[in-house]
Amino acid sequence: MRRIGNSAIATVTVVAFCSGAWLLYSADASHAPPQPAAVEGRPDPGEERLMAPALPPSPPTRIRIPSIRVNAPLIGLGLTSSGSLDVPPAQDKNLAGWYESGTTPGERGTAIVAGHVDNMQGPAVFYDLGALKKGATIDVDRRDGGVAVFTVDAIEVYEAKDFPDAKVYGAAPRPELRVITCGGGYSRSTGYQGNVVVFAHLTGNH
Amino acid sequence: MRRTARLSAGAVTGAALTAAALSGLAAPAYGAEGALAAARPSASATGTLEVYPSSVVPGGQVSVNTKACGQKASAAGDASAVGAGAFPLSPSTHEGDAIGQFRVPEGAQPGTYEIVADCAEGGRRVKGDLIVALTSAQGQLQPRGSVKTGVGGALGTDPVKTAAGVAALAVAAAGGTWLLHRRARGDGI
Repeated sequence: MRRIGNSAIATVTVVAFCSGAWLLYSADASHAPPQPAAVEGRPDPGEERLMAPALPPSPPTRIRIPSIRVNAPLIGLGLTSSGSLDVPPAQDKNLAGWYESGTTPGERGTAIVAGHVDNMQGPAVFYDLGALKKGATIDVDRRDGGVAVFTVDAIEVYEAKDFPDAKVYGAAPRPELRVITCGGGYSRSTGYQGNVVVFAHLTGNH
Repeated sequence: MRRTARLSAGAVTGAALTAAALSGLAAPAYGAEGALAAARPSASATGTLEVYPSSVVPGGQVSVNTKACGQKASAAGDASAVGAGAFPLSPSTHEGDAIGQFRVPEGAQPGTYEIVADCAEGGRRVKGDLIVALTSAQGQLQPRGSVKTGVGGALGTDPVKTAAGVAALAVAAAGGTWLLHRRARGDGI
């Protein structure tokens, strides 16, 4: 009886030691945000053809992406002095912004939404953006009471030093949406190396 | 550049209405893209009429909203300055805004036009400016470059895992101590 007790204690001790060591080891860097697979960068031709007629301009109030559990209010964003898109305040982890000098989502053209992947406290509104899949739905609530429904065409990662401005921000002949957050590699000295960019187009409204 | 609504209204309205009638409900030309990119929404203070986009090419669609009329209140909009005539503002689901829309006639001349709305209750009048531009500075106001939307805060140590790891190591230490203690007492390891 005594022997069994001893081996049980010894087993518990060894298991506890190993799992403790593993937990401490993996606690570091266990939270890197998901990044899209290469296949998500190629639009499906079938999906591409489905589209809805453009809506009249109306400012957006909220973005919802059910498949990655995003439901966040939108604030207006301007440009920084260097001409890049400004970002929402980082303290509020469930907040995104839209480029309010540009196209409103649902209107013909390219509407732009951006939000943080994380802040100093941890994951933020678009943490899971890189896990989004082609064909997923993005709903944008608008101030006119309607909802613009977009379907995801592609999810890409672009390096900051070689950012394709025209592809991401350029005018489109149909109602399109870009959703942008930080992504790519991360280094402690320079932060995230680039952006995850979701390309979507209008496929309905209600 | 700034032309008052009153000056242009009379001269433009006739031709504009004809052009609007001819163009029917056709979608705005692709050229509208540039103007939309150049649009700058007006200040969103209470008591003003917000105009989106505030700069538009002829044929473009415009949405206006105001909070000035109070909760669940409608208003009568007047865009005849730009030749678009009267339009209604209806209460919306969004924070007590009254919202209306109209289309700028294809024949509208470039300039700044005053859009007016009279609240259905209280007789309050709100105004906002709409700029009509024939062409626009294409792409000039597009953002450039990447966006700073992360600091790596999600990459730090995970406090839950750290705590669990420390707890598991404490269990291991206790178990080890107990075993050593038994062996020292000669309890039969």
